[in-house]
Amino acid sequence: MRSKALLLGLLCAVAAQTARAQPPAPAEIKIGALYASSGPYASISMPVSAGFRLWVDQTNANGGAEVKAFGKKIPLKLIAYDDQSSTATAATLYNQLITRDHVDLLIADSGSVLTSVGVPIAKEHKQFLFDVSGTGAAFFTDDNPYVALMADPVSTIWPHYISDFLADDGAKAGIKTVAILFSTNDFTGTQAAALKGFFEKDGKVKVVYYQGVPTTTSNYTVLINNIAAVNPDAVLELGYVGNDIAFLRNLQDSGNQFRFVFSIYAGVEKEEIEKNVGASALTHIYTYVPPSNYEYVPEVGMTQKEFHAAWDKKYPPGSNVTFGANAVYGYMTGLVVERALATAKSLDQMDIHDAVFALSGKLKTLDGTFILRKDGAQIGEVTPLGQLQPEGKDALTLVAVYPPDMANGKAVIGK
Amino acid sequence: MRNTRIRRIVLDTGIAAAVVIAMGVARGVYSNELMLFNFIIFLALAQGLNIIYGFTGYLPFGYVGFYGAGAYGFALVVMHLHAPALIGMAAAGVAALVLAVILLPLLRLSGAYFAIASMAAAQAVYEIVANPDLEDITKGPYGVSLADVFAPAFSYYTALAILAATLLLVVWLRNSRFGMSLQAIRDDSISAAMAGVSVVRGRTIAWLLSALIAGLVGGVFAWHISVFYPDTAFDLSVSIFATVFLLFGGATTLCGPLLGVFILYGIYNVIGIAVPQYFQFTYGALIVLLVLFLPNGLVSLLTSRGIRVP
Repeated sequence: MRSKALLLGLLCAVAAQTARAQPPAPAEIKIGALYASSGPYASISMPVSAGFRLWVDQTNANGGAEVKAFGKKIPLKLIAYDDQSSTATAATLYNQLITRDHVDLLIADSGSVLTSVGVPIAKEHKQFLFDVSGTGAAFFTDDNPYVALMADPVSTIWPHYISDFLADDGAKAGIKTVAILFSTNDFTGTQAAALKGFFEKDGKVKVVYYQGVPTTTSNYTVLINNIAAVNPDAVLELGYVGNDIAFLRNLQDSGNQFRFVFSIYAGVEKEEIEKNVGASALTHIYTYVPPSNYEYVPEVGMTQKEFHAAWDKKYPPGSNVTFGANAVYGYMTGLVVERALATAKSLDQMDIHDAVFALSGKLKTLDGTFILRKDGAQIGEVTPLGQLQPEGKDALTLVAVYPPDMANGKAVIGK
Repeated sequence: MRNTRIRRIVLDTGIAAAVVIAMGVARGVYSNELMLFNFIIFLALAQGLNIIYGFTGYLPFGYVGFYGAGAYGFALVVMHLHAPALIGMAAAGVAALVLAVILLPLLRLSGAYFAIASMAAAQAVYEIVANPDLEDITKGPYGVSLADVFAPAFSYYTALAILAATLLLVVWLRNSRFGMSLQAIRDDSISAAMAGVSVVRGRTIAWLLSALIAGLVGGVFAWHISVFYPDTAFDLSVSIFATVFLLFGGATTLCGPLLGVFILYGIYNVIGIAVPQYFQFTYGALIVLLVLFLPNGLVSLLTSRGIRVP
């Protein structure tokens, strides 16, 4: 009788232990991602995708990612679909990844347009969306915990140092007027509006030209002449890679010269732009200094130099993807995934959310410090203002010139 | 004779009902709801195009203009008046009808001239909507977010209701005196006018009905997707896809556009997901083969042998 009771107790204990136990560890962690191999967003999407793949391959080569929920390393399986820069296709594929492939983690395509359709879908399915570089302000609301921006700050934060520099060093050098020419899309349109607001608030520099043009614009000759007609001291051109290439080429061909010229991608995708417009058209152009050209001291992952070397090994010259900020963004997203898996209590999407938000202010990578606002918008990883300056014959170096505590060079303002 | 007509109507209605029920049931069986929703969108658009092209011979390349007008009609009412989604749907229909009335003079053109003019008109509407100076009204090129009315299930079944109404409309056109008069206008408008058919009235009604369907589909698209840009709502590929699906299956029939959508959009999704690099090649090859060997669509395999296709 006593042995029966003992046996029963033992069985109960085993049953209770079994009930408390974690579900069995999966053979692999499924990560779903989209990329665009063609169309207008391919130039920003492919480097992000390649950077993320590099992280996946590296992690798998080390036996997989450390997953706290199961207390062991688990290999990663990347399921990546090509949306060909189409929002309709992207929407279907986000659904496919969530509802058919049942991915554990969902990574958005690059840029605001291709991310936009994923935000409501992820929210509807309560799937946390790792938004790589979709900076549209509308994505981040207090009632949606299922999105966070990983690798670059929201558009309103980006241009802060431009207006500060012009109001500070620029005003001292006699810069009083500015022309703003922008492509009418979420990313650059928001930056243009923010800049206009900053200048109007400071009152030190007057906006004398403010013009939006379609993102498909490929000839800026007439626009440059219109800008020259109002004779501004500074010209800020905010566009995507294709816009910047066309603008910088046309600016050089036109012979017009301005004391201060800014272009986003001259620095953000320096290799790509330099390849297309040549060093002479880029000399003394102001731009953002992306993490691909600035040495942050990472506490997690590779340094910029190590990453560049790993990139060149995996994607040697002649590959279809070039090294730049977007390459770092892809790798950086991988690092956030890595840390989230290493700290999340389970693969439940709200636990993933909590783990990602817990990294805010603590995660320092080659992309700077990762800081999230409570609605998921990225407010860290701010890019300093830089300038492309000559270095020897036919070579350019990108130096940070503002803010002073991040500067590694001195700005040259035209006469 | 009368019994034959009734049999045809019953058969056509049965096919329409089967498609609608299948798409309704599919939502419970297949989890990628957005893919099914896109099927419904293109089924309705291809039939909407069928009404103006199949029955009157006018092929508007800019059909997406009505779709975009509907999407933005829905968005404007929801954004600015905070109206419920069904009021937004009514606004979508009205927006497309207003645009169709404005574009009525295009019906004075024909053939390629009409096709190109309609495309230019759609582009003009896009440029107006995407104008940054209208940001306060349309949100310009920066896109709209309609998160407040986001309701995937409700919008899915609304799309299904629009599809059902569209299919029934085509069934009616296929079997009614009015539908016959439209086909007479298409084949020879002068003879039809001499026989007492009101050519202008017939074309106008078909044009408005076709625009209304595209507008409602655009509205339900805006509702279902909830975040979109002008480029998405006025994407010319919407027109191209609807046209290709219609021509692939065969115009003037109920089944032609259905076959076109199920086969071609099905292939699009299978190839687009599995091997996207082969998509354009496969799609292009299919269309070239069709134009070479079946210029009147798949249904002509039967109709050329005297077999009636619903």
